[in-house]
Amino acid sequence: MSGHDSKYFSTTKKGEIPELKDELNSQYKDKRKDAVKKVIAAMTVGKDVSSLFTDVVNCMQTENLELKKLVYLYLINYAKSQPDLAILAVNTFVKDSQDPNPLIRALAVRTMGCIRVDKITEYLCDPLQRCLKDDDPYVRKTASICVAKLYDINAELVEDRGFLDALKDLISDNNPMVVANAVAALAEIQENSSRPIFEITSNTLTKLLTALNECTEWGQVFILDALSKYKAADAREAENIVERVTPRLQHANCAVVLSAVKMILLQMELITSTDVVRNLCKKMAPPLVTLLSAEPEIQYVALRNINLIVQRRPTILAHEIKVFFCKYNDPIYVKMEKLEIMIKLASDRNIDQVLLEFKEYATEVDVDFVRKAVRAIGRCAIKLERAAERCISVLLELIKIKVNYVVQEAIIVIKDIFRRYPNTYESIIATLCESLDTLDEPEAKASMIWIIGEYAERIDNADELLESFLESFPEEPALVQLQLLTATVKLFLKKPTEGPQQMIQVVLNNATVETDNPDLRDRAYIYWRLLSTDPEAAKDVVLAEKPVISDDSNQLDPSLLDELLANIATLASVYHKPPDAFVTRVKTAVQRPDDEEYPDGSESGYSDTPANAVDSAAAPSSSSNVTHAATRQAAPAPPAPSAPVPDLLGDLIGLDGAIVPVDQPATPSGPPLPIVLPASTGQGLQICAQLTRRDGQIFYSMLFENNSQIPLDGFMIQFNKNTLGLAAAGPLQVPQLQPGASATTLLPMVSFQNISPGPPSTLLQVAVKNNQQPVWYFNDKISLQVFFAEDGRMERAHFLETWKSLPDSNEIAKDLQSVVINSVDVTIDRLAASNVFFIAKRRNMNQEVLYLSAKAPRGIPFLIELTGVVGIAGVKCAIKTPNPEMAPLFFEAMEALLN
Amino acid sequence: MISQFFVLSQRGDNIVFRDYRGEVQKGSAEIFFRKVKFWKGDEGEDAPPVFNADGVNYVHVKVAGLLFVATTRVNVSPSLVLELLQRIARVIKDYLGVLNEDSLRKNFVLVYELLDEVIDFGYPQTTSTEVLKSYIFNEPIEVEAARLPPLGPAAMFMQGTKRMPGTAVTKSVVANEPGGRKREEIFVDIIEKISVTFSSSGYILTSEIDGTIQMKSYLTGNPEIRLALNEDLIIGRNGSSVYDYRNSAGAGAVILDDCNFHESVHLDNFDLDRTLMLVPTDGEFSVMNYRMTQEFKPPFRVNALIEEAGSLKAEVILKIRADFAPSITANTISVHMPLPKYTTRVSFELEPGAVGNTTDFKEASKKLEWGLKKAFFFFCSLSLSFFLLLWHIHNIQIVGGSEHTLRAKLTFSQESHANITKEAGPVSMTFTIPMYNASRLQVRYLQIAKKSRTYNPYRWVRYVTQANSYVARI
Repeated sequence: MSGHDSKYFSTTKKGEIPELKDELNSQYKDKRKDAVKKVIAAMTVGKDVSSLFTDVVNCMQTENLELKKLVYLYLINYAKSQPDLAILAVNTFVKDSQDPNPLIRALAVRTMGCIRVDKITEYLCDPLQRCLKDDDPYVRKTASICVAKLYDINAELVEDRGFLDALKDLISDNNPMVVANAVAALAEIQENSSRPIFEITSNTLTKLLTALNECTEWGQVFILDALSKYKAADAREAENIVERVTPRLQHANCAVVLSAVKMILLQMELITSTDVVRNLCKKMAPPLVTLLSAEPEIQYVALRNINLIVQRRPTILAHEIKVFFCKYNDPIYVKMEKLEIMIKLASDRNIDQVLLEFKEYATEVDVDFVRKAVRAIGRCAIKLERAAERCISVLLELIKIKVNYVVQEAIIVIKDIFRRYPNTYESIIATLCESLDTLDEPEAKASMIWIIGEYAERIDNADELLESFLESFPEEPALVQLQLLTATVKLFLKKPTEGPQQMIQVVLNNATVETDNPDLRDRAYIYWRLLSTDPEAAKDVVLAEKPVISDDSNQLDPSLLDELLANIATLASVYHKPPDAFVTRVKTAVQRPDDEEYPDGSESGYSDTPANAVDSAAAPSSSSNVTHAATRQAAPAPPAPSAPVPDLLGDLIGLDGAIVPVDQPATPSGPPLPIVLPASTGQGLQICAQLTRRDGQIFYSMLFENNSQIPLDGFMIQFNKNTLGLAAAGPLQVPQLQPGASATTLLPMVSFQNISPGPPSTLLQVAVKNNQQPVWYFNDKISLQVFFAEDGRMERAHFLETWKSLPDSNEIAKDLQSVVINSVDVTIDRLAASNVFFIAKRRNMNQEVLYLSAKAPRGIPFLIELTGVVGIAGVKCAIKTPNPEMAPLFFEAMEALLN
Repeated sequence: MISQFFVLSQRGDNIVFRDYRGEVQKGSAEIFFRKVKFWKGDEGEDAPPVFNADGVNYVHVKVAGLLFVATTRVNVSPSLVLELLQRIARVIKDYLGVLNEDSLRKNFVLVYELLDEVIDFGYPQTTSTEVLKSYIFNEPIEVEAARLPPLGPAAMFMQGTKRMPGTAVTKSVVANEPGGRKREEIFVDIIEKISVTFSSSGYILTSEIDGTIQMKSYLTGNPEIRLALNEDLIIGRNGSSVYDYRNSAGAGAVILDDCNFHESVHLDNFDLDRTLMLVPTDGEFSVMNYRMTQEFKPPFRVNALIEEAGSLKAEVILKIRADFAPSITANTISVHMPLPKYTTRVSFELEPGAVGNTTDFKEASKKLEWGLKKAFFFFCSLSLSFFLLLWHIHNIQIVGGSEHTLRAKLTFSQESHANITKEAGPVSMTFTIPMYNASRLQVRYLQIAKKSRTYNPYRWVRYVTQANSYVARI
């Protein structure tokens, strides 16, 4: 009883976390398991249970798989926030990866790959290497995916450790599941790399086609999608591939069917025999139609794809139009797509049937659907000349129902029909005019007014009809106003009597004096001048013959269609947009080669310089003008904020300093900033910016210049995820910029806020917006030197010790070919100004060897050895650091500092 | 590949959330729900199953009132994601017995364990309940099935006829019966959804059957099964649409337009004697899906007539005739008919002696609904806010061969513009007919490889026909 009581009290006194802590350390297995479950439960509802990290990890060493899995789930969630403690789990992971039980081996590798903590990643390589060659296929297939995970965290490591070759070997694995996962992993890695990594040869093709028959449905999709990148050598090979893939069309999984269709369509482009192609089309039709028996969500995807397929190969489904008839219980998004395809498949042969359907749809309840159905009738009329008359009679029938939105929609499409078949169906105008007063939508009104103006000579009371609209002219939307203006002019030109003459006075007056709409005003003035100078010319212009229209709505541009057909069975085929229009990579996985030091932008900036300088010299002088000139000339200057400044620029800066008080914090006193957003791209807004370090803090030094015609205000800034997680520490403070004005600001930055995963990159993507313009995006470079800390100086002994303690694998060297050291002392001073501190030097033959140290963020030391000959280009830079993955960034910084 | 997977309740609560790649922000579930709830595209107010918002692609399906959602940043195969979401729902249902918010919440540890095996780094690994069994260690916590609404097409066996044990469909495939022993049984359901459009003169304009042979096995040891279909079954029609009308009268071969099979099915003998060999995996799956447009006899003939009867008045006559054998009974029939928007009053007149229908007139959509169910009351009603006539046939057996008529007098608030038939209708009908299939596709026999002499598991072969889009134009 007392025990019971104490438990009761402990709950209230200690709270949930301490109690869980107790339970986690219980000696009883079951109790520990329950406790971990409670922890996971708390975690999933969003409570912070990270403080139990050590206790949970202690439960990891267990034979009980259920418990182990729970602990791993916990680890995946919290390792990132507790990187130092996560290391505690490494031992168990490594041990588990050698467990006799394949499930435990696979689990260990799978989980380690999900923990994106460097320290864990280091230890992942050896187990991964083993597991890729494991005897158990379950372990191998898990390891295959794990390579993709590792590539996402550290691409170089994957390449260095030869995991790519191991993956390629797994394509020949005897287990189809392993093959499928290896293919999926390779395909993803290829997607994120610019180098050819996974190229399908005819040899791999054969292997994959064999594996296709045996692997799971999901594996089949991976393989089919990977194979769709393969280009067959000739028609024969294409036929062979198609033959192997065709049985997949019978699969119950829609994803397999669609991926097989994509593959067949691609290969069909190469097949020359019309018989084979016809036969294939015949084979593809039933499976495509069967997709429409699946869940509505799948139907939607299938319909969007079919829409593309029938644009290229209309014969495939030419006889199947009935399956696209809408069912009354179809969701609206399915109905809309079906309508679209019905229009595409409509032909002289089936138009009667189709019209009957459309007529039914036009009386349904859903307004959007009804409108689209009415529009569909009009589009069929425009598409099929021989059916146009029947379409019009259906439209007239619908108008007679007098359902408001049906009438309006019908009038809109009839206007198009008139344009398509001039002087054919004007007899129905009288019927249309009956509905005049019910029109309340701008588009319908505008269409009707267009019809009245266009056929003014045939409508006896055209002037009365138009006059009725004129009363409300000022209140009408712009669309209607424009049409009214044109229609009145047409009326006047056709019937230059007194009534129209008065009307035109009213309209022109309204459209010039009393409107704020520049389009309307401009058009009115053009008419006015035309009419007053040469009425005959006005006739020629206004009543000119119009080009005949065709139905091109929803028809895709051929090159876009090609691209989309290559992307059948992907999101692109659903959106009908090319992939790069919506795929936004968060990470910049592809690393820029080291030797490409400056982005193209700054090079072109160089050649522009003289012209720019002249420009600004000629520009009206203002206090900020000097800064402009300086900035522009300085555009090509190396992006090194505290590097010594050349003489000429030094003078300019001196001038600059004289004009602007030095103590004003927002003034950049370093060298002028490079242009990141040229005025030509920014609609007159020019932005110069650079990262700089001052008093131990990083700033984004920016200069805004308004070369546009309007004042700009409300500036805001946003940084995309980047390697060093740079983000603004506060809001951007830029005052309103009058045209021609400029402003500078120092934006304090914080680092390690929004770190992008993946290999280190210098890319810094920035977005700037203001209240007047669209959002501007530009790329800047992260210069690592601004991160070098002031306290980076190392004692000699400490330097030696550190150098020795780091393994040789952490030593990386690079030849900085463009760098020339003219004087050792100047170089040392220059580097010291950027917090790269000199330690020692020696001479080796005629070479100078310098030892230096720097401290990167988070206290990571860089030990540097520079070797070069004074006065001769080319310096070898060798570094040793615990974080070798930062080396490319570091070399870039060094090169910038030394140049 | 898939970046996140989550399940939301109808209210938008996060029930399950798993991030596989950390590429999409954490608040995606909320962004998604807000988008879907307030969707307003140029094509109606229903969010399409696949859409992109701020660079994140959202793919979702609705299952059992829950939203199953996946997010991704790359150009994935949307059909793969949609299929996967459906499969995840099915696997979870296999494990938990029932799929709803309650069961998911109670079993979240098991669900997360499943999700870890089903998807790795966004790539689907396996969705076979059978395969998963060897990797899953958590036991399901059963939730009470009784008070749950029935789910899925097989649920119809639970209502009405007492032929089948009702709990079967809500039983987990992994949990044991209270006695510790599992009951050896296998369910084979032939479920057909039929779509028919009748013209105003009663001709069939389009007709289609979407069928599926669904299997759910509770057999231990996974014995091999042989499923024999009609011997004269023909797959694929050869382009022509000329049918021998006698076919639909009962004789002749069944011709399927197209069919596909589950990957566990061996078709070695299929061309020879139309038998399917398979080792059923645990859990529910479709053995075969098929589609048929061959003419067949529709189970119901629907006739609808609307006539003006003087100014501001009209009469509606709805007639349905059951065209199947008297031994068969249809359930939960209801007939819907939208009425003109200016309808103000509807009065009903049912056939003499017919007490057991409900009729409804709903004003918001102005539709006439007539429900025929098994009961002792006929009940027609009118709800002016729907402009819809609903006729529920409650608890009266619609047996084969019978005919029912509903007459309704409508009063309008204004003169009809033109043809009243253009403003009312079409009449649509929903129904369920157990032990009936329109295609005449049959399971001739279901053979289970015997393990021993005494091994004789329960075999349930069940047929059911449902209306998909059953419409009569007027």
